[in-house]
Amino acid sequence: MNCHEAATLVAALADGEIDGLRGRSLEKHLQGCAECAAKRDAIVVLRRRLRDEVSYHRAPPALRDRLLVALATAPVPDATPPRRARERWRWLATGALAGCAATLCAWLIGTAVIGWQASEDLAVEAATAHVRATLGNHLVEVASSDRHTVKPWLSARLDFSPPVRELPNKGCVLAGGRLDYLDRQHVAVLVYRYRDHVIDVFVRPESSRTSAWAPRSVRGFNVARATGGGMDWVAVSDVNPEVLAELLGNLARDGAAS
Amino acid sequence: MAEHARFKDLVLPHLDAGYNLARWLSRDGDDAEDVVQDACLRALKYAGSLHGTDARAWFLTIVRHAFYDWCRRNRPAEIAHDDGAAVDAAVANPASGPEQMAMRGAESRALSDALAELPLQYREVLVLRELEELSYKQIAHIVEIPIGTVMSRLARGRGMLQRSPLLHAIRGQSSGGEA
Repeated sequence: MNCHEAATLVAALADGEIDGLRGRSLEKHLQGCAECAAKRDAIVVLRRRLRDEVSYHRAPPALRDRLLVALATAPVPDATPPRRARERWRWLATGALAGCAATLCAWLIGTAVIGWQASEDLAVEAATAHVRATLGNHLVEVASSDRHTVKPWLSARLDFSPPVRELPNKGCVLAGGRLDYLDRQHVAVLVYRYRDHVIDVFVRPESSRTSAWAPRSVRGFNVARATGGGMDWVAVSDVNPEVLAELLGNLARDGAAS
Repeated sequence: MAEHARFKDLVLPHLDAGYNLARWLSRDGDDAEDVVQDACLRALKYAGSLHGTDARAWFLTIVRHAFYDWCRRNRPAEIAHDDGAAVDAAVANPASGPEQMAMRGAESRALSDALAELPLQYREVLVLRELEELSYKQIAHIVEIPIGTVMSRLARGRGMLQRSPLLHAIRGQSSGGEA
């Protein structure tokens, strides 16, 4: 160890803050270096003089007595934590609550938007399938007004058996059925005629994502959705929305009854 | 009354240390009593907040805070301008001659005066180190400064005391006596 290193450590050694290897190395240096040893000695001498010559002021007995009297009459202090700590907790709690509320809010809005988007996508897809079938002259693969013909035909080609109703008393006639593809799965389509309108009713098993909605308009077609009888029903037609909703409601309800 | 019993156990054994610190910081007996009394009320209030075992350092921290609050109310100039410049000036240019100092009598008086004249920030670390014999770590905790700052303030304070004209007067006199 050299004098430069020792200079910063001499005071710490004199204060008893250095021990071990470093302390021994420093003491060794001091044994051979009068200048550094003098620095240490100066601190030690100053300390001895401070302790010998400077008063250590002891508390006056009167102060002690006064404190004891004051203590005996002092009210028991408020056991609650200091105000600042309490406020800090309140801020933390408020912040945490606000964070939770914001997260919940974002989740609700997010799922609502995703749900709405999914509904919109499904409506557009159903309308597109309807248009494609109409234009391609592919509307009906099994042409029959007899549900006992349509239903087995569909059941034989799907992994589910859709309820098929005829609904003649509603002014609505079963024209037949076909297979189609909707929302990445094969679905049954029941085709009805109402006056000069064609009504496509897509039927598939109900899933957890299924939700009913009122008729909405997609490029001039009305699309409605309902649930019932364990099935998810989507109807597409150019009839007015009230008729479409009523028909779909009857189908889904009857599907539930059957 | 649990707080009162705890206060008696925690604070009363360290009342002398608290008073000594307050006395050296305020340089006045009556003021020191006011500061200590205020500190005791605070200690009673926050006795529950002491979790460590170092009740003396805890109480000295409270005393120091009580002193600085008192000082801000009563002697704001002392905190604002207490940067050591005045003492450095006095060291460089002793206003009172060795003869006058020698006439002041006892060496202890001279050293006490020299310590009392140190700026607050050097005085407090020297009192805590040399009179209370606290470690660097305890001092750093009480004064709320890094250990490196404790060391540099101690070095500066000691340098001021060693170069103090008050002590030079004594040293010159005593070395003259021995010769």
